[in-house]
Order: sequence, then C-alpha cells, then structure tokens
Amino acid sequence: MKSPESQGGRPVNAEPVLSVRDLTVEFADPRGGAPVTAVRGLSFDLAAGEVLGLVGESGSGKSTVGLALLGLHDPRTTAVTGSIRLDGTELVGAGESVLRGVRGGRAALVFQDALTSLSPFHGVGAQLAEMYRLHHPEAGRAEARRRAAAMLDRVGIPAARLRDYPHQFSGGMRQRVMIAMALMNDPKLLVADEPTTALDARVQRQVLDLLGELQREHGTAVLLVSHDLGVVAGTTDRTLVLRDGAEVESAPTGELLAAPRRPYTRALVGAALRLDSVPGSALPTVDDPSPTRKFAPRPTAAGRPGHPERLGRTGRTGRTGRTGRTGRWLVEVEELSVHFPGRRRLPSLRAEPVRAVEGVSLRIAPGETLGLVGESGSGKSTTSRVLAGLQRPTGGRVRYDGQDATRPDRELRRWLSREIQLVFQDPYASLNPRRTVAQTLDTPLRLHTPLGPAQRRERAAELLEQVGLPAGHLDRYPHEFSGGQRQRIGIARALAPEPRLIIADEPVSALDVSVQAQVLNLLMELRERLGVAFLFVSHDLAVVRHFCDRVAVMHRGRLVESTDRERLFEAPHTEYTRELLAAAH
Amino acid sequence: MLSFALRRTLQALGVLLAVSAAAFALFYAAPADPARAACGPRCDSGQIAAVRQSMGLDQPLLAQYTDYLVGVVAGRDVNDVDGSVIHCAAPCLGYSYRLHQPVTEALTEHLPVTLSLTAGALAVLLVLGLGTGFVSALRHGRRTDRLLSGFTLVGASVQIYFLGYLAQWALVYSTGLLPLPSYTPPGEDPAAWAGGMLLPWLVLGFVNSAVFARLSRSQLLETMNEEYVRTARGKGLGRLRAHLKYTSRGAAGPLVQLLGLEAGVLLGGAVITETVFGLNGVGRFAAQAVSGQDLPAVVGAVLLAACFVVLFVALADLAVAWLDPRIRLD
Repeated sequence: MKSPESQGGRPVNAEPVLSVRDLTVEFADPRGGAPVTAVRGLSFDLAAGEVLGLVGESGSGKSTVGLALLGLHDPRTTAVTGSIRLDGTELVGAGESVLRGVRGGRAALVFQDALTSLSPFHGVGAQLAEMYRLHHPEAGRAEARRRAAAMLDRVGIPAARLRDYPHQFSGGMRQRVMIAMALMNDPKLLVADEPTTALDARVQRQVLDLLGELQREHGTAVLLVSHDLGVVAGTTDRTLVLRDGAEVESAPTGELLAAPRRPYTRALVGAALRLDSVPGSALPTVDDPSPTRKFAPRPTAAGRPGHPERLGRTGRTGRTGRTGRTGRWLVEVEELSVHFPGRRRLPSLRAEPVRAVEGVSLRIAPGETLGLVGESGSGKSTTSRVLAGLQRPTGGRVRYDGQDATRPDRELRRWLSREIQLVFQDPYASLNPRRTVAQTLDTPLRLHTPLGPAQRRERAAELLEQVGLPAGHLDRYPHEFSGGQRQRIGIARALAPEPRLIIADEPVSALDVSVQAQVLNLLMELRERLGVAFLFVSHDLAVVRHFCDRVAVMHRGRLVESTDRERLFEAPHTEYTRELLAAAH
Repeated sequence: MLSFALRRTLQALGVLLAVSAAAFALFYAAPADPARAACGPRCDSGQIAAVRQSMGLDQPLLAQYTDYLVGVVAGRDVNDVDGSVIHCAAPCLGYSYRLHQPVTEALTEHLPVTLSLTAGALAVLLVLGLGTGFVSALRHGRRTDRLLSGFTLVGASVQIYFLGYLAQWALVYSTGLLPLPSYTPPGEDPAAWAGGMLLPWLVLGFVNSAVFARLSRSQLLETMNEEYVRTARGKGLGRLRAHLKYTSRGAAGPLVQLLGLEAGVLLGGAVITETVFGLNGVGRFAAQAVSGQDLPAVVGAVLLAACFVVLFVALADLAVAWLDPRIRLD
C-alpha cells in the first residue's frame, strides 16, 4: 500500500497529518513503586497518505503508542507527556469531549484479533452503524444502515450479512469488518495494531492488500504497528524501529531492510526468517548477530540413517521394559481419520460428523524432523494429538516403533507417554504458574525414571543447562522468566524422560522474531546432539523450511502433499501448496 | 429451540418426579403417625385404624404414590377423616386432613402473598445489587468501592430475623414511618398493599442483594478489560456509555442465571421473612404443615417450590441465550 507520491521520498510541502513530539508514556505501579516508562521521548511525523511501520518486539511499547494516539489510556494510572498533534489539534491533555470526537472520527483503530475486538452481542451492521451515528448525530438510523451496508460491500462482504454476528464470519472476513468499521467516518489517521497477525498467510495477504487499496482511495495516513518485518516490508513507506520505548532508527522501509544502520535493527532483520535463508543454519540473534556455530548437514532421504547415535543416554536412567525394535520408521500413520460428532438439528435427525482428519498417512524415521503444515482448521493439530495419545482416532492405524499405538493397554500407554513428548505453542499457558521449575521438571523424571529425589534434582539442573538456562534458576516460578525462557523450560520438560519423538505444536509462533531465532537454534542443537525425531506442526513456511527435513501439507483434513523439503519449496506439486508458498513470499 | 423446550420439559418432569418421591419417602421414614395426627389426641386405636383406612394410609407406599401422581394429572376423589368423599380437581396435590381442604386450594390461597413478596424483593435486590456492583466496579479500588463492599458484607452477614425485627422496631414501632407489615390484595387497595409490603421487600431484598452485588462487581471488572469494550471507546463512546452498552451485556450471563435461581427459590416461600413479618405466604404454610405432620401439604409445598426453581432456571437459560447470540439452545 505504498503511496505513489512517496516512492521517491516524502511529499515535499505536505503538512503532516500527525505530528508526535517527545512522547513519553508512564504507567503508575499499582503497588506504589516507581512508575514504569513504556515510551521514552518518541518523535515522528506522518503525512497524509503515508504508511509508517512501527516495529518492535513485545514490551517495546509499540501498542502503547497506538493507544496514546487516540487518548485511550486511563489518565488515573497513566501519565502521557509531550505532544501529539492530529490535524492541528493537540491531543495530549485534551478533554474527554475533544478526544471522543477524535476517536472513531478523525482517527480510528484496527486491532489484532477481530473476534475479541468486535462485540459478540451485536450484529456487524449495527456496530458499523453505531460508528457512523456517533460522529453524525444528525443522521437517522436508516442513513447509518445504508452507509454500513455500502462500506461492508466495499470490503467484499455482501450486504445480506449485515445482521450476522462476528462469530458467524471467518477470521479474514472479521478483520474486513473491523477495517470497514474503522473507515466508516473517513478518518485522517488509521492506527492498525498487528492487523493480520492472527490470520493465515494467504488471508493475511488479502487483508493487507485490501487495507492498502482503501488507504490509497481515502488518502488515509496509516500507522502500522507490527512485530513482523515481513508485513512491514511489503506495506509501508517508512519504518521506525522501537526498543524499550525509544526509537532505535527510522528510515524509508526499503533502505532500512537493505542496510540497517544500528546493530539491533541488523539483528532483527537477520533473525527474521525468509524463504531464502540457508536451511538448518544457525540464526543470528540480538546477542549474537553473526553466529559461528555450524550444524552438521541433515541426512537426506536417500542416506537417512536407520538409528542415529544417541548421546548420553545409555543406561543412565535405566530404561526398562520395551526397548526399541526400531526398524526403518519410528512412526507410521496409515489412513488416519478423526471425526467429531456434529451438531444435531432435531433429536430425531442423525448428525453429520465433522471430518477433522480424513485418510492421512505419514511416516517419521528415527531422528528425522517432519514438518506438518497447514492453515488453521486443516487438521494438523488433531493429527498430532492422535500421535500424542490425546485423541482416539476414528479409523486408520498408528504404529510407533512397530507397535500398534492406539491399543488400549496401560503398559503400552505408559511406555508411549515416555517415548513421545510435547512442546506447546503458548509458553505462558503451558507451565503451571504455581510450580517452580524444579517441580515442573521433577514430575516426568519421577514418573518415568527410577531416580531418587536428589538424583532427580541433579538431572533437572542438567536439563536446565542443556536448554541454556542457569541451574541456579531451578527454584524460580514461571512468571519470573521471559516468554523465550519459558519456552526453554517447556523444552527441558519434554527432554526429561529422554523421548525419541517430540511433537512440537507451533513452538515458536508465539515468540518474538529474535527469541524465535534463539529457540530454533536451541532446537537444532538439541536435535543434533540427542538425535530426537520431531513432528513440527506449524503454519509458518519460513520456519518449516529452515528446520524440517521433510514436509507434509494438510488442507481441510486431508494430506495434500508430503515430500522432501527441497522438492516442496522448489517444485510444489499441488495448486494449494503453490498458493501457500506464494502467500508466504 | 424446539429441542431445547422438549428436553427442558422432560428434565423438569424428571426433577419433579424425583422430588415428590423423595418427599413421600422421607415423610414415611419419620417416626410420627399421620393418621394419629389427623385423628386428634383423643382417638383410640380403633378410630385411628379407621382414619388410616379412609386416608388410604393402609395401602402400600407405592400404591399411595401412584394414586397421588394420577391425581396430579387427572384429579381424583379423596376421603376426609370422617369418611366423606371430596372431589379434588387436577392438579390435585392431595388433601390436607389438618385443614380439611385440598392442598392445591390451600396453596392457591397463600400464593398471592408469596408472589407479592418475591416480586418486590427481587426489584429491591436488582436495584441494590446491580447498583452497588456497577458503582463499585467503576470506582474499583477507591474509597467508594471499599465503602460499598463493606455495606454488602453487612447484608451478607446479618440474619433476616435480626435485621427484620430491628427494622420493624426502628421504622414501625418507634417512629411510625411505615405501617405494620401486612398483606392487602393489590386489587383492593394498591397503596395499602405497597405500604404493608415495603418493609419486607426492603429487608428480604437487601439481605439477598449482597451476593448479587459481589458477583456483578467481579463480573463487570472482568468484562471491563475485554477488547470489545476498548473498541467501543475507540469508536468515540464515553466511558459510562461504553460500560452500560458493552460491559454490562458481557457481564450479564451469570447474573441472569443467579437471578433466575433466586426468583425460583423465593417463590417457593421465604419462611423466615414471612414469619418475622407475620405474612401468611407459602413459606409459612409449609412450616406449619411440617410441624403439624400434614403429609400432603408438605409434599405439595415442596413440589410447588421445585416447580418454580425448574421453571425460572429454564427461563434464565432462555434469557442468557437471547443476550448472547453465540449460545445456541440445543
């Protein structure tokens, strides 16, 4: 959505629509401590029709800036100083009545998650009409409804759906509704806070294109807040990088991405995975911008070893019972199907089941990493849940190490629950906040190893060091760690019983770019050292391309394509895979 | 919707059946003899046996229970203590040998008092509970909030018989600000009806509002941080209007559920309140029936109370589904 006149630099004599000077935002500490400074002395201008990207990692203060521009902070707990001039009006210190006129009128917001940001209790037409009537009190209901219908039509939603509720729309459609609502009153400034982060790549592209079109039509100035350099690269004229609430650097987007001046920006740009990075290489991070570590080349399909050497595990925890009779494959899934009971219309009618997974066949060799790719609702998580023993399949066979893994046998389940471990997406929700790291790591050791209490603690310390955290942090609680550190704890927990297969469901998609790079580096290192096989579930093709040996693509519960990484990315077989790849670029 | 109504009706029938069976069985497990109680203290064993036979108490328990159920559906003829036959029209909840009157008829006489008491008390409860909850949430953590929290804590901790007598002494006997609580049918004299019921309404409403105030406060506080409320503010709605239109809607679900339950329970009879203020409602009727070992009256009152609870809980579910389009009733 780059504006044509700003391609060769900024428009010359245009008065900026938005002028921010020395903006500082401080949050009072509810317990009476020193206030927390979220934004420090930020200054920037935004001209009509210009798109500025505001980029930073979580905690950088980027969303705080967006909210401050509309005066949405609670004045009782937040101190906003400096100057925000929107279209000639000073907003810092302005009264509620002035701000109410600005919000939704001259400046509008689009938030990340349209499902939670739109009212679930009102029809979308009513929500759009309300936006119009708030700023055009003289307009009648009929006029407002007519305009709402026209605006919905403009973003590609038939007016017949005016009375529908947000939950009846798909994610992309909901975000279109959100955008339509923001543009109801033809605002001068649009603040879009991560507008496409919650969407699948294909839909993300469509929504960004629509936003660009509308922005050009209306000549709206846009502040695009994002953590995703990929989104910023394709859509903004200029980019401002934010760290700890202060500007790191600001430049025309192309320039900034091609030749970042500051080390932090360089690391951020380097850490962002693109589809042309070298697969399996160590990724640069903010702490280590030019990594020297080399990973061994991954085995190819032809020369895949039957059973890689597994370090540091022979006999040390006394694995008993079923030892691996490993053949060619560690996991074999054949014609797997999972159906969920459908909703019944009347008591007498038979319900049509929801076919979440239908006829899926997969194989994973020992030590191999299989990427499972698909959009939300494609059945990839359900498939991984079957492998983890958390979901009973409706049909098909699942064999682990040559044994039928779906047999209801306590012994077998116990053994599998040791062999197969899980790493989850959300590092905040997947650790019990009331248990220390030592307690979290102790449980799998107690259940699956014969170690005594002292030995278990020793082993927990070892595990923690293995994932790059100091052993001294054993007695801390999850809230004392950052998101990336928590994900490391989750990985340590998965490694504790020495599994041969780790199912990782979107393990890095909730993390910031630089943290994502660190965790991927860790996973690559552990994979090389321990020879663990991975089922890596992800919607992010760049991550999958970097980390996985083979890739399986799922679409609407079916397997569309399953092949080696190179073949998939260079010569995709199916139309759907090609579309996915195109959207990721 | 159709399947919801169907399922709920079946469920209600099941509940009522279970409740009536339990009430029946419990009463027979008790040591007292209903025939002796009905006959009076001066009966000899021959007379008691005759009464027992005319009351049908010599029949097996199961037969008595089926007779009862048939009567509820179709009505039946019953024998009084003296052997005279009385027709008891459907829904026949049995015949009270203490009052010499069909139970349905006796309950119908007492019901208007309980209906009046409940309606007024619920109104007080809603205004007080929602009001304090809303103001507390808006002024969260500040002095008003703490003051109101203390106020509702008083309501939660004080007993009706204490507060009732206290208020009656202060407002009626000492100062004459309010008339003595009594029930006048609203059709006869609306002013006397409202005046006589005002004190019971206030006391019963206040005591029950505490839970409501606490729940509405915490519900509102939770919903205030919802993103759609932020969106509403971003549209240009003022703080109060955003909370009234969006926050309240989001917070309403559990409050409606609680209100439905509360209404059902109160309609089953507020024994203590009715006793304290001398109101002759269903609650007092039930209490007297229990102490008089009037089996049919007790079972009738219990069934009526269960009916109200089941009905109002179902109504609350309907209301919640109407408030939130994401909920589907099937």
